[in-house]
Amino acid sequence: MYESIIQLNLHDKKKRAEWMTFMKSLGIADFSDKEVDAIDFTLGMYDGDQLVGTGSASGNVLKYIGVCNKGVTQGSRFNAIINALTSRLYQDQVFHILVFTKLKYSESFQHLGFTELAHTELAAFLETGSPNLTDYLAELPKIDQPDRQKIAGIVMNANPFTNGHRFLVESAAKESDWVYVFVVSTDASLFTTQERVKLVKEGLSDLQNVMVVDGGAYMVSYATFPSYFLPSNVNNVTYQTMMDARIFRDQIAPALHIGTRYVGTEPLSKTTNIYNQTLLKELPPKVNVKEIQRNKNESGQYITATNVRRAIQEGDVTKVKDSLPTSTYQFIKDHLGILQSRIKKGMNIDGN
Amino acid sequence: MADNGERLRRTMMFVPGNNPAMVKDAGIYGADSIMFDLEDAVSMAEKDAARDLVYEALQTQDYGNAELVVRVNGSDTPYYANDVKAMVKAGVDVIRLPKTEDAGMIEDLEKDVLAAEKQFGREEGSTHLMAAIESAKGVLNAPEIAAASDRMIGIALSAEDYTTDMKTHRYPDGAELEFARNMVLHAARAAGIAAFDTVFTNMDDPEGFYRETRYIHQLGFDGKSLVNPRQIAMVNKVYEPTEKEIENAKNVINAIEEARRKGSGVISMNGQMVDRPVVMRAQRVMKLAKASNLLDEEGNYIEK
Amino acid sequence: MEIKQTAVAGTLESSDIQIMLSKGNDGIQIDLESDVKKQFGDQIESVITETLKKFDIDNAKVKAVDKGALDCVIKARTIAVAQRALKTADQPAWEVL
Repeated sequence: MYESIIQLNLHDKKKRAEWMTFMKSLGIADFSDKEVDAIDFTLGMYDGDQLVGTGSASGNVLKYIGVCNKGVTQGSRFNAIINALTSRLYQDQVFHILVFTKLKYSESFQHLGFTELAHTELAAFLETGSPNLTDYLAELPKIDQPDRQKIAGIVMNANPFTNGHRFLVESAAKESDWVYVFVVSTDASLFTTQERVKLVKEGLSDLQNVMVVDGGAYMVSYATFPSYFLPSNVNNVTYQTMMDARIFRDQIAPALHIGTRYVGTEPLSKTTNIYNQTLLKELPPKVNVKEIQRNKNESGQYITATNVRRAIQEGDVTKVKDSLPTSTYQFIKDHLGILQSRIKKGMNIDGN
Repeated sequence: MADNGERLRRTMMFVPGNNPAMVKDAGIYGADSIMFDLEDAVSMAEKDAARDLVYEALQTQDYGNAELVVRVNGSDTPYYANDVKAMVKAGVDVIRLPKTEDAGMIEDLEKDVLAAEKQFGREEGSTHLMAAIESAKGVLNAPEIAAASDRMIGIALSAEDYTTDMKTHRYPDGAELEFARNMVLHAARAAGIAAFDTVFTNMDDPEGFYRETRYIHQLGFDGKSLVNPRQIAMVNKVYEPTEKEIENAKNVINAIEEARRKGSGVISMNGQMVDRPVVMRAQRVMKLAKASNLLDEEGNYIEK
Repeated sequence: MEIKQTAVAGTLESSDIQIMLSKGNDGIQIDLESDVKKQFGDQIESVITETLKKFDIDNAKVKAVDKGALDCVIKARTIAVAQRALKTADQPAWEVL
């Protein structure tokens, strides 16, 4: 009856094996490096020598939460583990906490003050703490009498901002009164978040009806979606994009009166195609989806940020010059060494 | 020595100071003393919150007749000064100082407590003190510590830190604590204050708990520190007086009554003079008997 | 007084209340989660508000998760979180206690 919660060192082979056995007994089987290596700390709850509960945190995301409820009041161990995890994060001055979990656990989290942002048949996405979604939306620039205007939204990682992105925004700006451009804020790309936002802003500075804003925690890039708890036959990308689409549809778009979401087609990327398919399926009729054909550069090639990053790796930026706005081109030229060293240090450039 | 009359101090229950459920319910188990812990049971990041919680609970919760004790953080920590001030302001009965090494530490505590009593308009002298002995040095200085202040009501042995200091650990037979127990007990008796034995943490060994409690009862300890409410009834059971002890005590009490009626200053029983320790023991036995529900309304022993 | 940093006090365990305090500019805004919100929500919020007022905190966002806390616990946690948010946890507010 006297349980203690201590930190588990997963680098210790024995501890890790004990932890994995426990998680497996609860039906969690995905211990891929992508998921486990990102863990910052793991807590374990012991009843005597018996591991009876655990939970981990990766940045501000709670992960790998599991408890055994045999012989104790339903929920008491779950509450204790979540309490220990959040207390630890609060002590580290992390006040905004996210969790992606099986749908059936959503209610348990809500019982502890978490708010559900979106869910699918399989999973739920919740947050707690501050600043939360309400705070995020309150910070965004607002338009007078938004219900009388045509307002569009575009989400981009812009790694880096190209003429392809520019063409997409231009198309939206021509057909709308106002355009929100959300830049994904997760810092996991070759170009840092700060650099990406700066280049997007500079590349669009001449368009008067465009507002470039931070995507916050709510335009989630694929990298941060944990998927370890999903059945192995589920396509992770589909699940992730569905969650992303629903947050946009149910939370972001209504608050900003966004009626249309613009997306670029991506003839070369399967992931983007899945994403666009999901948006087309999920957003209407609440939010229209408009696909803009990706434009080609003067030499007839499709403009993609991936090609730009490859050119950086090869050290020959001139060959993508006509795919880039002057501001992006100049930035790359000025920072080629730094960018190349990031790639050498292992930054993946083939994602998005 | 503070005026502690013959208050029963069989059980001093530890309550983690930052746990509202336990702080709230501490009064319902019938412990003679409740010790709210701001020290070892509270992590560094929660020291302020625990202090606030115990303070507010002491203002509003009904803990019956229990003696209310707070273990403050050690005087070498940054929390000590605020702990002492807050608990004096809260009007706690006793402040327990951990890791007491010498009389000087009690003298300093007394000054701090007096200053706080003045600052917050508490009656001067109303806050009592007790010391926890947790090291070899503390054990050797126990007599001067026990006598260091008129506010002292008790002295307690804390075996976890003590055994570590002695380069040993706790064993079931308690041989490693023999000297310390006797030293603390003698220091307490010589100073006329209470002696508390250390905690017994293995909840899965009730036999061992009974064995240890019977042993310290035999030595003469007033009682024991406890970590679990379930242990309260077990200690009380050990401290229950026998029917014979109660009969003897009643005879002594009757003799006192008789002397009072006669207006005589000398108490005698069966032609023998009854001296003070005997009177005090008799009063204590009657108190124990009453607390153990062994007497009916007229003071007669209830057959079980 | 002005809130200097977001802070939290209390836990999610039974009989406790966890309170997060952060900057606000529209009075004391309380977002309360409690099983007994219907019966005691107003009471809980008023203890929090009264206590914050004693610290001269007039603008703040409060997020509270109640697990059946008594008034004295609510008050104690509000005091703790206010002092942490004001960065005065090492100087107890004797006049508020």
